Amino acid sequence: MADVLEVKGLSKQYSKVLAADNISFSVGEGEIFALLGPNGAGKTTTIRMISTLLTPTAGDAIVAGHSIIKEPAKVRENITYLPDEAGAYKNMTGIRYLRFMAGLFTTDLDQLNACVERAKKICGLGDRLEDKIGSYSRGMIRKLLLARAVMTKPKLAILDEPTSGLDVLNAIEIRKMIKQLAAEEKMSFLLSSHNMLEIEFISDRVGIVSGGHLLVMGSAAELKERYSAANLEEVFERVVNENEIH
Amino acid sequence: MKFINLLKKELSELITVQMLLGLVVTLGIFMALGSVMDTTIDEAVEKTSNYTIRLIDRDDTEFTHDMIKSIEKDGNKVRIFTDSGDDYADILNSNDIDDIVIIPEGFTDNINSSKKPELITAAKMTSAATISNINAGSATAVELIQKYISSKLAETGGLSEKQYELVKEPLTLKENTVVADNSAEIASSSIMSRIAIQNMMLPIIVFVLIILTSQMLMSAVANEKTDKTLETLLSAPVSRGAVIGAKMLAAAVIALINAAVYMVGFKVCMGDATSKISSTAGELISGQVSVDEAMRQLGMSLGGMDYFLVGLQLFFTIMICLSVSLVLGALVSDAKNTQSMIMPIMLLAMIPYIISVMTDINALPTVIRYIVYAIPFTHTFTAIPNLMFGRTGLFFAGLIYQIIVFIICIFFALRLFMSDKLFTISLSFGQKSKYKAKKRRKSAEK
Repeated sequence: MADVLEVKGLSKQYSKVLAADNISFSVGEGEIFALLGPNGAGKTTTIRMISTLLTPTAGDAIVAGHSIIKEPAKVRENITYLPDEAGAYKNMTGIRYLRFMAGLFTTDLDQLNACVERAKKICGLGDRLEDKIGSYSRGMIRKLLLARAVMTKPKLAILDEPTSGLDVLNAIEIRKMIKQLAAEEKMSFLLSSHNMLEIEFISDRVGIVSGGHLLVMGSAAELKERYSAANLEEVFERVVNENEIH
Repeated sequence: MKFINLLKKELSELITVQMLLGLVVTLGIFMALGSVMDTTIDEAVEKTSNYTIRLIDRDDTEFTHDMIKSIEKDGNKVRIFTDSGDDYADILNSNDIDDIVIIPEGFTDNINSSKKPELITAAKMTSAATISNINAGSATAVELIQKYISSKLAETGGLSEKQYELVKEPLTLKENTVVADNSAEIASSSIMSRIAIQNMMLPIIVFVLIILTSQMLMSAVANEKTDKTLETLLSAPVSRGAVIGAKMLAAAVIALINAAVYMVGFKVCMGDATSKISSTAGELISGQVSVDEAMRQLGMSLGGMDYFLVGLQLFFTIMICLSVSLVLGALVSDAKNTQSMIMPIMLLAMIPYIISVMTDINALPTVIRYIVYAIPFTHTFTAIPNLMFGRTGLFFAGLIYQIIVFIICIFFALRLFMSDKLFTISLSFGQKSKYKAKKRRKSAEK
């Protein structure tokens, strides 16, 4: 499995805070990798650096063979990013939004239409896509944004809290969709979530981040075994506490 | 009691640090403007009380000599100038004076034959401000000459009907206005009334445009930032320059559409009234040329190139607003703060706006004038008066200054947008909440 993302010692120093310290991991083709961590652990900073929104203080990340430092434009052609609690343009209709976003990735009309058709199927919003986004519920917006994030078939989809704001059934649907895209279309995912059950169900490998450090990494089964834990929640608790003690 | 509780909550929401700061600054601005106006009015009062009557006596008769002596006897300072032709601009400019009264040849003969004599006045117009165009010397001279003629005629007794009419209205006044090297046969008051109508609306349009443009872009950037659509957008394969460029261009286009609508509306609303009111006023007073013709003769009519230059200045004003708004919008921490963030732009636009409505900025005392000149928006408010009064040097200095300010502002805006600070920096007027948090901590410790 070739690596779609290779993170090599990424660090980010804000004026007084070291938000990310020498973080390294990789995500293979069709793999779902999840970053777990408490608030302020450095997950979003790491994700933002990989998304080329922030410049690392040290280290680099290679996305589909392109450096986030040297070729950020090429990186952006191969990724999509869905921020946590992201909104959409309230005055646009759902379909207009999808067309607008697809238009940023391709100027070919056939490709653009294909992207939009794909998003329409994935989001399942039906006729509501003709309504303004301002009239959507939080869950509907999240579905629209998720569909937007995968419609262009990026090599790497970076999703921050992908199911936040969704009800149980919708969340299950989204998780299935992510797994299916990874398995069938070999799309790679870098996720960040607080929902341990979700991460355990969905991810191939997990990285636990705290205080800007990537503490442990492995599959949910490996980590549960290593920490003699019943579930990922217990692993997370032990790892974070261990880190605080030391 | 419940209502009081609700009222308290609403007031605490509305009374914020930024609101109080805004009130204090606004009050300060009005106080400063009051002092500016006081200084300007003091200067005008001094000019009115320390006047000199300047005369050219082309008639040169015993009657006019006696008339001048009687003016001097009243305690007035009188200076007699030698005749130097009919170019009134040249007379005023070569003698470095603001106004003059000319007693033409045949003045005495006309009085003796019971005909209404003519009296010529010429006055320089240096700005659109009424107070800077007060010519107390000429006004006093005309009044005293009228009185002198009336009294002399009354002294003779046994007035004919014609002479009686002459006593009531002894002069025909031929007023000339001089602007730079041009002169026209029209009272400066007629020109002033035309400019006053223009000055009433144009600053409002410029002010609204500045605020509207800034508000639009600032909200656009702030909403993108707080909704996190900016993160989505900037992680897409599109350059940050393109994102900024599209935002600025869209706001500029909407602002220009607004400007066009305001200008058309202004023209429709005021156009007919302006020409009717001021032309009628001009004809009534001078009986010579229309205001439009006079303004053309004085070089005050704006041509195609002038409008292009005014448009260019307006363009740079909008570009300054847009680049500053980009920075301020990026600093907004939540949508509520957008209103507060526009305050610096609003204040900078308000100062020249209020001054330009009240007086001509160019007529302000030197030190205050340069302080006001330092505000880049000032030059937009002074653009039309500068071009009208031939102060092209001042116009281009203002334009160059605006271009420099724009380059500086856009440099900082681009630097901010290209850097991480776009996502990490935010200005919050959250002093109140910090204070509350501190208070909460203290009470928790207790």
